[in-house]
Amino acid sequence: MTSSEHEHDHTKLPSELELRVKALESLLVERKIVEAAALDAIVDAYENKIGPRNGAAVVARAWVDPEYKARLFADSTAAIAELGFSGLQGEDLAVVENTPAVHNMIVCTLCSCYPWPTLGLPPSWYKAAPYRSRVVIDPRGVLKELGLDVPAEKEVRVWDSTAEVRYMVLPERPSGTDGWTEAQLMELITRDSMIGAGITKSPAKAQ
Amino acid sequence: MPVVLTSDMVAGALKTGHSTRVDVAIEPRFKVGQRVRAKNLQPLGHTRLVRYVRGRVGIVETDYGVFTLPDTMAHGGIPTPQHVYRVNFTSHELWGPAADPKNSYRVGLWEDYLDPANDEAP
Amino acid sequence: MNGIHDLGGMHGLGKILHTPDEPVFRSEWEGRVFAMLLSVNGVGHVNTDEFRHSMERMDPAQYLSVSYYEHWLHGLETLLYEKGIIAAADLDAKLAQIKGSDACQ
Repeated sequence: MTSSEHEHDHTKLPSELELRVKALESLLVERKIVEAAALDAIVDAYENKIGPRNGAAVVARAWVDPEYKARLFADSTAAIAELGFSGLQGEDLAVVENTPAVHNMIVCTLCSCYPWPTLGLPPSWYKAAPYRSRVVIDPRGVLKELGLDVPAEKEVRVWDSTAEVRYMVLPERPSGTDGWTEAQLMELITRDSMIGAGITKSPAKAQ
Repeated sequence: MPVVLTSDMVAGALKTGHSTRVDVAIEPRFKVGQRVRAKNLQPLGHTRLVRYVRGRVGIVETDYGVFTLPDTMAHGGIPTPQHVYRVNFTSHELWGPAADPKNSYRVGLWEDYLDPANDEAP
Repeated sequence: MNGIHDLGGMHGLGKILHTPDEPVFRSEWEGRVFAMLLSVNGVGHVNTDEFRHSMERMDPAQYLSVSYYEHWLHGLETLLYEKGIIAAADLDAKLAQIKGSDACQ
């Protein structure tokens, strides 16, 4: 082949892994086991449409609407579906509440189970060995490492997602947010606060 | 079942998911509030019975209902439907007397993973 | 199985490499692997329990050292071969073909 037929950038040669995945997809498409356009749609859904903003909407609604909050704890799956979020890896959802007395943390020690419809796909650190191994033996140490000091008198509850129920934390509403709209409140609700690996932003910091 | 997932099927598939609940009425073996002991099983195949609770006693907090059993689904797609419970374990029970007593651990466990522990001292 | 994946309570596995934000898929290949598994799972070629078990059976040193979606790739390939949906030799041949057409002489 002549040099003019090699226009690709030699600083970005595909890795062995990229080539392997490309080969696998090519094979599966040829054999009509997968459809490329369907794969595109799946990637698009999780990159652009399904993410922690969904969970933040649920939290904000629960903070402003006590009746919604009651429904959320009576049947989390149904209440979350009211806001339009449902489905894969969230067929059975259970929201757990942070209070002044209790801090909740979610983990999947065995793999990476996570409430996709409300939080999207889990971050790398949630799926990796350090978090998975340590949260169930030293949750306060994990929180400290992540920058959160939980008072000794507070209870820490760890929820291991071994079964098909997917947990999400309802974080405490920060003070100084009286009268805020749901959209304003959502800006304070971090992904980590809904895993229990952190807390919400304070109004002062969010400014 | 369709042979291949096509792009027009994706949105619906993601929104519906696939629950592993089984719509069958089975008498639960355990009640909420009951003390149970996770069995000392050492399966070579797939299980969701985490090692850190095996042989440990906890209290049933919730009966989530009837689901397929991963241990048999992973090996031949056999459902073995049964109740799944959320069991609450104290930190001392799992991690010994030096553990922080203000920590507690909640784990989802299938009925086949549990035995009653009624005669245990509190 | 009492495999490496059953990590609850283990010590010494390092610091939590926390990021406040990160892309959903760090490379394009991760998204493709994710989508391929969902696709074959969605039509019933593989169920979720056997998929989890396929990753649990990975070599333990590999399991702890490779990136997350490499677990998925390993599991997906394992199941496709075990169920006779494709053969390892087929993938090898396709890979060689792709490398051949990409090769710079």
